[in-house]
Amino acid sequence: MAPILFQDGMEDVLPSETNGTKSGRSDTVDLNDSTLQVDISDALSEREKVKFTVHTKTTLPDYAKPEFSVVRQHEEFIWLHDRFDENEDYAGYIIPPPPPRPDFDASREKLQKLGEGEGSMTKEEFSKMKQELEAEYLATFKKTVAMHEVFLTRLAQHTVFRNDHNFKVFLEYEQDLSVRTKNKKEKVEGLFKSFNKSTDEILLAATQKDVDDYFEREKTFLLEYHMAIKDATTKADKMTQAHKSVADSYIQLSSGLSQLGTIEGPRLEKFINKVADTFEKARKVEGRVSSDEDLKLSDTLRYYVRDGSAAKDLLYRRLRCLANYEQANKNLDRARAKNKDVHAAELAQQNACEKFEHISNKAKEELNDLKARRVTAFKKNLIELAELELKHAKAQAQLLKSCLQSLPEE
Amino acid sequence: MRLYLIVSASPSLCPGDNPQATHLPRAWAPLARPPPHGSRLTADLFSTNPGALKSPVSEQTTTPEDQRSPEDPLTPPPPAASLTPEPHNPGTPPDLFESVAEGPVVVQGGSPKLSSVPLDLPAGGNGGEGKQQDTSEPPVPPSSILPPMGAPLTPPVVPITPTATPSLTPNITPAAPTPVTPVAVARSSPEQAEGDGGDEFIQITVSDPQKIGDGMSSYMAYKVTTKTNVSYFRKKHWSVMRRFSDFLGLHRKLVEKHLHSGRVIPPAPEKSAIGTTKIKLGSDKNADSGSLDFIERRRAALERYMNRTSTHPTLRADPDFREFVELDAELPRATQTSALSSAGVLRLLNRVGETVNKMTFKMDESDQWFEERTQQIESLDAQLRKLHASMERLVNYRRELALSTAAFAKATAVLSSVEEHSSLSRALHQLSESTERTQTIHHAQADADFYVLSENTKDYIQLISAVKDVFHERVKTFQTWQHAQITLAKKREAKAKAELAGRMDKVQQAQEEVTEWEGKVERSQEEFERISRAIKKEMEQFDVMRVKDFRDMVIKYLEDLMTSQQQIIKVWETFIPEAKAIS
Repeated sequence: MAPILFQDGMEDVLPSETNGTKSGRSDTVDLNDSTLQVDISDALSEREKVKFTVHTKTTLPDYAKPEFSVVRQHEEFIWLHDRFDENEDYAGYIIPPPPPRPDFDASREKLQKLGEGEGSMTKEEFSKMKQELEAEYLATFKKTVAMHEVFLTRLAQHTVFRNDHNFKVFLEYEQDLSVRTKNKKEKVEGLFKSFNKSTDEILLAATQKDVDDYFEREKTFLLEYHMAIKDATTKADKMTQAHKSVADSYIQLSSGLSQLGTIEGPRLEKFINKVADTFEKARKVEGRVSSDEDLKLSDTLRYYVRDGSAAKDLLYRRLRCLANYEQANKNLDRARAKNKDVHAAELAQQNACEKFEHISNKAKEELNDLKARRVTAFKKNLIELAELELKHAKAQAQLLKSCLQSLPEE
Repeated sequence: MRLYLIVSASPSLCPGDNPQATHLPRAWAPLARPPPHGSRLTADLFSTNPGALKSPVSEQTTTPEDQRSPEDPLTPPPPAASLTPEPHNPGTPPDLFESVAEGPVVVQGGSPKLSSVPLDLPAGGNGGEGKQQDTSEPPVPPSSILPPMGAPLTPPVVPITPTATPSLTPNITPAAPTPVTPVAVARSSPEQAEGDGGDEFIQITVSDPQKIGDGMSSYMAYKVTTKTNVSYFRKKHWSVMRRFSDFLGLHRKLVEKHLHSGRVIPPAPEKSAIGTTKIKLGSDKNADSGSLDFIERRRAALERYMNRTSTHPTLRADPDFREFVELDAELPRATQTSALSSAGVLRLLNRVGETVNKMTFKMDESDQWFEERTQQIESLDAQLRKLHASMERLVNYRRELALSTAAFAKATAVLSSVEEHSSLSRALHQLSESTERTQTIHHAQADADFYVLSENTKDYIQLISAVKDVFHERVKTFQTWQHAQITLAKKREAKAKAELAGRMDKVQQAQEEVTEWEGKVERSQEEFERISRAIKKEMEQFDVMRVKDFRDMVIKYLEDLMTSQQQIIKVWETFIPEAKAIS
């Protein structure tokens, strides 16, 4: 695939996220917050990877220059996310979910299939389908750029995260971060770790009772919600796909009709050509319906799946903290009973207590914040979705109406 | 006597020997002898035609008489005989014409009187279509038109026969005055073009599929309802019950009777062993959507088949068709339509033979028109098949869309119930309902895609197949002709040989054979030319119908599509305020 240069910004994708994560948690977006502004100004797609140009504008004194750009790849984003995830200081926060890996496999496969089937269709049909696929590829590309950008903007606008040292490095360091993808050993380690984590989670969920009712409720809610929204996302994706297929099949209908027109001769030709043309236009509208549904509906759902996942992680961390705290308490009691190492135990207990309280408070804030964000995002996207669907349906109805009106004039 | 004088003065009464003849327009006044003027004529007139008695009263105008005459009983044989294009005395016409000059009315009047001619037109019925001749109708059909004054009256052979005389309108339903072509007689004289009744209307619906009986001997019966204003049907609106094999039997009979005349017979819906067995063995209770679908498809296909057949004037007039549509009792089982019957096997063998024939015999096409049309038919066939395939794809995708939308609606409902924020929950619930409604719309649209677009196109592919069959019939007649010519040449050779050898007995026989084959050659050539002409005409009609059908189909489909979109608009319009209400 030839490298595709992607120039313009994509302001319309998931701005809802940037709305919510502003410091101060207000709903209004202050895009003029110039203390730290991050965006992806450019992106290059090569055979296997995508290279993002991360552009930063800042008034903060810590940074060497007020404006600068670096080139980053997807792995480096993941590295950044992991740094946040592992940082105990941030245990009480919801870590913004990492962007998904750029996946052009589906598009590439389709393009290949098209190439193979080239002989069986007319030149026009082939070029139209090729155009469609290229548009699809471009859309996927835009989306992945947007996701990466949202991740960064969320970090940049978070009061605490923005000051993180790793973040600074990520933004500033001009060289390659040399983040090698985990080699086999590390991958296995990572797998092991996550396995551990999930069993721990389950164990905790079963054994550790929460002192705070609020968190109990939240946990149950999040679990249920997470499942429901995941399901909805998959179904939404399927629906969008089906819609796209319908739109694509119009192409063949349209070209089949035009060919029929040439065979039929003068009597039906004009009539048929008009109809074929209408189908072509209708196809474009249907295609837009499909991609808008994808953008507004599926993507919103998908994002909140991931965010919800991050929230679950938070809860898990808190629970673990609670377990540690209780453990520390027990230790202290035992130490006091034995009258040995009391001081150390006391210190440990105090630490654990602090940590736990700190986490609990923060967690409460974060969860409320998440709720608010979610509601706003849904509202915005649902409204936009409905308006777009309406617009497209009206356009199609109009298109068909004018076609019908012009036909009997034959 | 006075009356008589008047009568005799009226030209129409001039023709002498035959009282009936007086009723005939000059054109075919079978004048065996010079028109006797005066009483003798009238006496004859009165003796044979009491009805005519009154007419003389109306002086010149024989119109009243004319009006009555249609009701007159058919003339006794002798007059009938005189009606046939027997040699008339050529001398008489001029006389007639002179008298004719006085009574233009006569001309008109003459025509209706022809109705008393013993034509069994009512039997044909079709003859009536569009052939109505009012006495008031000024333009006397050409064939019966009196030649201009003084022109020698050549008794037209054709017009005399029932077929030719447009004026021979029995009490036919007054259809719009159409040109001469009598349809009913088409059977007796294939040369005649089909009459086209402009105001005729026949519409057939197939409904209420019912399963009769049980197990393997059960079958589906359908109610066939006909609405029509065509005259030769007994009623205007009625229904009968028919089973699927009846439809197939009808098609087979029509093919047998009309294919070799060069007509395109609309193909009947296909048999389907799987679908039928499923229905036979399934009970009413668990008729699943698959078999319901199948029944619906078949019902729609049968309806389209009946309507296509009924729009074709010749097929509509066919007695088998009429019996099928009208007979208020069970039709005799068309057992020969079953695939396993002896007739079925025979048919299969025939078809195989024909296919081989089609592939091997290359006709030496001399007619440019046929060459072009054959090409066009072939490319039309190929293109329609391709189009049909993409239509089927569209149907499938849209059905998938409907299904996935339904799944999404359910998932959203679940999400809405889990969501704790109340107004968001409400909005999500609304979303679920809206999506549910959209799903219904998609499903209905998929059905429209299927029944309006895809099935009709499939019908057309089959019709094109029927057209190809007709073309092939022509090729077969050509083959027969060629074969006859070759055989004739051989016989001639044989005869020449026999003559050379001096074998007188053989010569005699050879001579007979030569004559026989000469006749055959002539006949097969005629046949070939006839079928070629018939096909050309048939194709014109077919083209017109095809174009119209296609346009109708596309327009209907676009309308359906538009309605769907408008419904979608409504769905989203109701949703938007809900979404905005999220606090």
